[in-house]
Amino acid sequence: MAGHNTPRHATGLRPEATLNPVEVRISGGMLALNRFLMTLQNKRMPVASFTVGREGDSEAMRATILLDCPPEAARRYTTLLSALEDVQEAEAAAETMEVALLKVGGEAWREAATRAGIVAHEENGTVVASGATREMAAWLAGIREDVEDVVRLGPVARPTGEA
Amino acid sequence: MGETVENTAFNIEYKPRTGSEAMCEALLDEGVEFLFGYPGGAIMPFYDALPDYPLKHVLVRHEQAAAHAADGYARATGRVGVCIATSGPGATNIVTGLATAQMDSVPLVAITGQVGRPALGKDSFQETNVMGMTLPFTKHSFLVEDPDELYPTVRRAFEIARSGRPGPVLVDVPKDVQFAACNDNGYRRLREFPQPPAGPSLEAAAALLRKAKKPLILAGHGVTLSGAEMELRLLAERTGTPVVATLLGISSFPEDHPLYIGWPGMHGSASVNRAIDESDLLFAVGMRFDDRITGAVNKFAQNAKVVHIDVDPSELGKVIRPTVGVAADAKLALRGILGHFEETGDDCAEQRSQWREEIAKSQEPEKRREEEARSKYGPIRIMDAIKTIAGDEVRLVTDVGQHQMWAAQFFEFTKQNSHITSGGLGTMGFALPAAMGVAFAYPDEPVWVVAGDGGFQMNIQELATIRDFGLNIKVAILNNGYLGMVRQWQQFFHNRRYSETPITGPDYEKFAASYGLAGKTVREGDDVEAAIQWAQDQKGCTILDFHIDPEANVFPMIPSGMSVKEMIEESESSAAYGGA
Repeated sequence: MAGHNTPRHATGLRPEATLNPVEVRISGGMLALNRFLMTLQNKRMPVASFTVGREGDSEAMRATILLDCPPEAARRYTTLLSALEDVQEAEAAAETMEVALLKVGGEAWREAATRAGIVAHEENGTVVASGATREMAAWLAGIREDVEDVVRLGPVARPTGEA
Repeated sequence: MGETVENTAFNIEYKPRTGSEAMCEALLDEGVEFLFGYPGGAIMPFYDALPDYPLKHVLVRHEQAAAHAADGYARATGRVGVCIATSGPGATNIVTGLATAQMDSVPLVAITGQVGRPALGKDSFQETNVMGMTLPFTKHSFLVEDPDELYPTVRRAFEIARSGRPGPVLVDVPKDVQFAACNDNGYRRLREFPQPPAGPSLEAAAALLRKAKKPLILAGHGVTLSGAEMELRLLAERTGTPVVATLLGISSFPEDHPLYIGWPGMHGSASVNRAIDESDLLFAVGMRFDDRITGAVNKFAQNAKVVHIDVDPSELGKVIRPTVGVAADAKLALRGILGHFEETGDDCAEQRSQWREEIAKSQEPEKRREEEARSKYGPIRIMDAIKTIAGDEVRLVTDVGQHQMWAAQFFEFTKQNSHITSGGLGTMGFALPAAMGVAFAYPDEPVWVVAGDGGFQMNIQELATIRDFGLNIKVAILNNGYLGMVRQWQQFFHNRRYSETPITGPDYEKFAASYGLAGKTVREGDDVEAAIQWAQDQKGCTILDFHIDPEANVFPMIPSGMSVKEMIEESESSAAYGGA
């Protein structure tokens, strides 16, 4: 059920690929997001994954991009993105994690999550799981017989201060 | 109706009443003198306010020309050019102009009217998402939906357009916002002074330049944009380094200077391309290693280390990985590097005499061929005659195609920032309207347009604008009855299948007369110099229609994606340089 934005190393497509996580804060709403996406496309940036969410209660957005290229090129792309008027901040993210929402049959997922290092809990019948992308992929593969549906929200930079 | 507020930039008080008036106030506060535009339904409130302000509006005949005229004005002056258009087709017509400015880093503010806020998103009459369509080739864009934000937004647009790496900014204003009352117009100008580059990178760049035995300076548009011509010249002279100018870097270094060797790339001099191939250091300033310069990147300057100075850090390593990258304004960077040569007092200029002699020797055959062609009717002689007769103060605005290459190759640019052309986008139809912008900026200086018969017809309607304002623009059409550059490619790479490249046009002499302008047809055997002198002596705009060899080619040529090793220097049958 991995979406098209799942990082390549997580799906085993190109385990050797260098994925450089970049975290970007964007202000300016949908127009700004539109411009941002257009820049990614216009400059043909090697985007392996793009995840966006609202930052806290503000109107600003936070996007995490995985760039599939050498680190030097990723730095150049980050510089280019940081020059956009709507971009408040763009920097290499130290670490990313992934969030997934699942419909699961049975209870085997709980123990499997603990073993895989995935933090998971059930809320109104939906399992909310988070963890490192590689571990998430392994955990999902391990419980796939029980999974009825899954939405992977893609890798996001960990909130500041959280290891 | 708003309260009186202070304009924090100039400490004057004003009472803008409507959005339109706020826009005019913002333009005035930015020191705008000329607006190039065309009215229409959605921008009418702005045009209604305009006569009350000391802003000079130039009514063009097509919105594309407004954008190019603003572009020409900006390139010639270094100030921000301004163009105005209405919504829908007015806005779509400026799109090519915005892309042209973006590709060549030209500071431009485009103001477009938009349908009223209640009509947005409803496929209303003349509604188009101009912001959406221009996202890839504007530096930034605004849709102003709050009247109170109009004044600060227009001011901010100017800041963005001219700061760092310049570029075009779009401000889209719904009609009802232009009508609406404004309450708050404050804007505090955030002056951004360019940061001096880091010392170690300058030291490393200077060290490489000092050690190099065969260095070349590659001067790009960034030199002109930052006003670094003097620093460039000083560095070249102190280090004895030959200078190469890119197409947009032409006229950033005087071409009659002994250290100037020409321009590189697809149609650059063979000797310059070979010098790049031989060089052990490319010292690139304000240029971006365009594919028309590098050809096959993996074969480009394989022996050279690279110092790359550019105000846009994302350019460093985009095409060529520099040995030393300096993300800085060209003027500041060159000043810093010059300091290293002052301090050490070493004389590397002398050490490079052998390198300069080597280049000079490789230029000899080219110079002989040029000299021979100069004596015959054709593009070289025409360029030569324009320069001789119009004088050193002439500014040359070229269109796109073969004539553009001939002008770059054979017109001797000695005046600073006197060469204006569309380089990155290669926009046919650019020259005539861009020359209008140049002529408004410098009404007392000679301005010549060199265009092909294809491109000239793309914005030919601007002759009316030129006539209305009595602009003293002289036009030389190099008329070969073809879309010449495409025809040349068809000749070389498509077995001479001249598919849709033969092109007709009007009798330009009569056409000029119909606009109340003077014109003359010049053919082989006619006196080129006398015709140009005649044009120069006429009052106002004059058109010279030079009929040249239909199959004249631009040489040399490095085919797209190839290297200097694959350079085409001779044609098997066609006349090189239109007559040799």
